[in-house]
Amino acid sequence: MNNIDRLGEAPGAPDARPPVQTLPIRFTGSGSEYFRIWIVNLLLVLVTFTLYWPFARARRIAYFQNNTLVGDDPLGFHANPWKMFRGYLVVALFGLAYGVTSETAPLVAGAIFLVFALLWPALWRASLQFRLRNTSWRGVRLSFEGDLKGAYLAFAPLLLPVLGFVALGLSAPDLAPGEGASPEERRRMGLLFLGVMALFALVMPWCLARIKQYQHGGYRFAGERTELRAGVRQFYGLGLRTGGVMLLVVLIVGAIAALGVGLAGRTAAGVLMLSGAVALGYLLFPMLVVTHYTAALQNLVWQNTRSRNTRFRSGLGFGALARVTAVNWLLIALTLGLYWPFAQVRLARARLEAMALQVKGSVNDWLAHAQRRDVGPLGDAAGDFFGIDMGL
Amino acid sequence: MGEPLPTRWFDGRSPRGRAVQLRVEGDELVLEPLDAERAEPPRRYPLREVRWPERRTHGQRQTELPDGGLIQHADASGWDAWWAAQGLRESWVVGWQQSWRATAAAVVGAVAVLLASWFWGVPVASQFVAQRLPLSLDERIGRDGLAQLDRALLKPTRLDEARRQAIERRWRAFVERAHPEGDAPAWRLSFRDAPELGPNALALPGGQMVVTDQLVELLHDRPDALTGVLAHELGHVRHRDGLDMLVRASLLSAIVGVVFGDASGFIASVPAALLTQSYSRDVERRADAYAAERLDRAGLSPAVMVSLFERLATARKNQDRDADGVLPIALASHPADEERIRFFREWAPER
Repeated sequence: MNNIDRLGEAPGAPDARPPVQTLPIRFTGSGSEYFRIWIVNLLLVLVTFTLYWPFARARRIAYFQNNTLVGDDPLGFHANPWKMFRGYLVVALFGLAYGVTSETAPLVAGAIFLVFALLWPALWRASLQFRLRNTSWRGVRLSFEGDLKGAYLAFAPLLLPVLGFVALGLSAPDLAPGEGASPEERRRMGLLFLGVMALFALVMPWCLARIKQYQHGGYRFAGERTELRAGVRQFYGLGLRTGGVMLLVVLIVGAIAALGVGLAGRTAAGVLMLSGAVALGYLLFPMLVVTHYTAALQNLVWQNTRSRNTRFRSGLGFGALARVTAVNWLLIALTLGLYWPFAQVRLARARLEAMALQVKGSVNDWLAHAQRRDVGPLGDAAGDFFGIDMGL
Repeated sequence: MGEPLPTRWFDGRSPRGRAVQLRVEGDELVLEPLDAERAEPPRRYPLREVRWPERRTHGQRQTELPDGGLIQHADASGWDAWWAAQGLRESWVVGWQQSWRATAAAVVGAVAVLLASWFWGVPVASQFVAQRLPLSLDERIGRDGLAQLDRALLKPTRLDEARRQAIERRWRAFVERAHPEGDAPAWRLSFRDAPELGPNALALPGGQMVVTDQLVELLHDRPDALTGVLAHELGHVRHRDGLDMLVRASLLSAIVGVVFGDASGFIASVPAALLTQSYSRDVERRADAYAAERLDRAGLSPAVMVSLFERLATARKNQDRDADGVLPIALASHPADEERIRFFREWAPER
């Protein structure tokens, strides 16, 4: 079922060059089967006070990866759940210590948070290493080869807005109880806050570009090491378009709210219309802004990921993803959450089947790169805790 | 035992698949290459060290070998039949996941566990935790909370000193009469102007109680009703409801996180917030009961509270008609007024 074509080759080029094959990516998971896996896992996680979590997670990842076919061959997932269990315990203790101290001993909690923030790039890298190391295709393990320094450099731009927030916190005036801030002070703090937020928005695309360049520059399969051929400019383009969609949502919600106030004034009907506009904003924001961003980021990142003999294709349409998301949300709400696993499968199918892998020459002739030592599962558990995944 | 199974094998070093056949001999899995140009000895693996795939309806079967090799079988049902014929046993979790009847039992079980945590587990656990946290914590949270409210919603009071002192004196005398054993929780009373909140009173963790100027004006000729409102707030202080709700909220968001394990923060936060909201009605009823009991103990009728609800209803109606000023939504989390009026009217001591 591997169709052979000549994408990327000039017509009439000499046949000496190896042919390019396009391997479609398909997802064969089924909602009803994942529902059964999910509900059994859920019960076991609940009755074991979440100790079963890493085993459930291993089974969930295995189900999604084993049903992801690149060409005709599925991905494998080989992590030992007992190793993930140890990592889970360590991270859970960290989280518990933070949760307990955050209200009782803010200084200790601050120290724990700082340590975690400082370790974060290293943990993130370790989680990528663990995930890739335990993923295979055609029996060959993948690996992640980004170095530690690169991980820290990727997050470095975030320091700017963080320092801005610290400065903002230090310059806040101390207020006696019962005393409000003076109007000038409020205006000054508001302007400062806006300034820091603007700095944050300005730095974000740069930071995201560095993170994705590091991440997609570190994947290896056999002799193929990937790189991300997308520059900072493209990420600023993505940021601008996302900001545009955000502005659109704000305009729609604002127009409805203004209409409500204008027509009905501050009566019950007006208040109802106002809260309706707010509810609409809550719905439209993730529906339009997040969906647009998700689709655009996946396309930007994977369309530009390539290695010597491979490149990825990703043509995820905003409309298609928005349709899937809308139906998912509606059915999740109508079934009080029972549709959740079906929704996950639908979403994975929409995102994965928008992608393909193009390979120059024959995969059969590649040889696995010597594998390096095992990477501990701690990074993986931490990554799960904070919701970092492979951008897919 | 049984027929050998022709299948596809990867050695873990090359992505080239090879044709092999498998059979089980004693406690060993034997793998014989079928495509070798020259004779290759069969590979043998102890059965215990082979990681078998879990049976599923969809997807191919992948078997991990101890040397890093992988057996990949595209025909799932063919594999399952061969595997079962070898007399190998699968994990009970897998059997469970493949049976719809067992899955239905799991749905019932999960719902039962969730309902039990909702009605019993979370309230008991949060009371247990909240009662064991130091009081200084309540005070700190209350102080921070009041500072935030001062910044956002509250303004310095416009009531004159004499009037505030009169209210506080009256309230102090009531507390002493209502707690003859001297077991009243520590409290502090503050007054604030709150045009956006309207007539309202709040209890913050740590015993800080705030009354708005608007409420004092609303009940200017009904001092006993004002005392009743404060008794309700003192009930919150007594039960440490502020802290209790904080603990409940974190427990609930943890449970929602478990159910939708891979949910994004946004989707998970909505049900958690809705669930926390519905707990607050129970807490309000408990504070009402405390107020009624203490009013009675101090020799006042709990029915004095009725005039509060009547005046609030009138104020709301006037606002609707005038169409200026915002609805007092701050009371939206309380049980319906009629229900509370009936409660205070019909309250009788349990003796």
